[in-house]
Amino acid sequence: MTATFAAHAQGGPAAAAPTRSPAVSMHGVTKRFGTTVALDDVSLSIAPGSICGLVGPNGAGKTTLVRLLLGLERPASGTIRVLGLDPLRDAIPLRERVGYVPDTLHADRWMTAAEVLRFCRGLRRHWNDTLATRLVDRLGIPLKTRVGSLSRGTLVKLGLVAAVAPEPELLLLDEPMAGLDPLAREEVVETVIAAAPDRPWTVLFSSHSLDDVQRLADSIAVVVEGRLVHHGATDDLLATVRRVRMRVDEGLPRPLPEGIDVIGSQDSGREWTLVIRDGVPTAIERLRALPGVEVLGVDPLSLEEIFKQLARAPAGRVDERSLS
Amino acid sequence: MQIDPRRHLPIYLQIAEAIRGGVAAGTYRPGEALPSLRELAVTLRVNPNTVQRAYDELSREGIVESRRGLGLFVAERAPGDARPRAVEEVRAALERGIRIGLAAGLAPESIATDFRQALATATRSSPSPVIPAAPQKLRRNSKEADA
Repeated sequence: MTATFAAHAQGGPAAAAPTRSPAVSMHGVTKRFGTTVALDDVSLSIAPGSICGLVGPNGAGKTTLVRLLLGLERPASGTIRVLGLDPLRDAIPLRERVGYVPDTLHADRWMTAAEVLRFCRGLRRHWNDTLATRLVDRLGIPLKTRVGSLSRGTLVKLGLVAAVAPEPELLLLDEPMAGLDPLAREEVVETVIAAAPDRPWTVLFSSHSLDDVQRLADSIAVVVEGRLVHHGATDDLLATVRRVRMRVDEGLPRPLPEGIDVIGSQDSGREWTLVIRDGVPTAIERLRALPGVEVLGVDPLSLEEIFKQLARAPAGRVDERSLS
Repeated sequence: MQIDPRRHLPIYLQIAEAIRGGVAAGTYRPGEALPSLRELAVTLRVNPNTVQRAYDELSREGIVESRRGLGLFVAERAPGDARPRAVEEVRAALERGIRIGLAAGLAPESIATDFRQALATATRSSPSPVIPAAPQKLRRNSKEADA
């Protein structure tokens, strides 16, 4: 079962009116490479004007997901709409409206940074020169240097300028922060925030840095082994996931009462630790009410800890049997 | 203002907390304008929607108010509102500590002793608390703590 939560980024001029259609929608999308299932029945919807952080272990299917949105891969099944268009059928009109920074930038190493930008400018119908110049200055990109001698950080920045200058409605970033030093990472984060056009744009970026996801993302999508195990507002995840430490005298009843959504569990003798999604009425109260169970402590988790828990339980929830 | 993504508190609440604290401490004064969404978002390197949520939260609490076309301002009666909120947060944190102690089987008196010691250590090590209470109130509180 693939649970789909709408990315409900709220508030602000950038907030989407509820009637607007999603910027990205995937429904039941499966992608195979040979016998390997890269994406398995993924349904994901990203609200226009919101920033979605895509996280998952290496090889989870993040790059495949981004490439499917660009029409660079063909899904085995399922439907994909990007800005209301089909990425395979409408590849050309879509390319005008989507900016993309791949995980590795392909450019002729003998071209200078300025030549790369001029080349990209020639490919686009629209290009905001003022914005491009401002970003080049701000990011300190040496325009006369040949691409072959640029650092990975500067290359990413150059790719970002090329993707942002056409003022796309949707920006796709595949691991933009990977391999960057902390300062360059901050600059990339800052660029994504500061370069946002006056009308809202939608951003999907994949990352290993939960810090960056928390800073940037309205919603977080977690992909593990090709499955979307979670998608929801970043703040909601922090507000609802709790680690409950308990003394359990006679073991937990199985199945657990309704409404206790267990993400992870660990026990050593009578001391049990459950990671749960706290709902309304609260799951913690239900645990407290169990006979022979004393709740010793309830603690929030950091986004990074939550991510690790979700990544360890690929089904998105712990099977009742693993509680025994 | 500092944001720490590793804290367990959502960033929009961290921003709200920092501004609330700033209002109570007098670094933001009644009638003063708050930075624009974009400005604060770039400074803190966070999503502008997150800053918006923090501002929404503070508006709901009546700490800031919007003036049409001019942006957000610290409300005239804001500092009075910010303090009870801090009291509430202190109570919640204390309650949590007490519950941990009781669950571990500590006697209430022993928890109270620990609290007094922690308070004494904290006031010694940080001479300027983030949210200073009114002077006479501070004296009364410390007397209570010593009793």
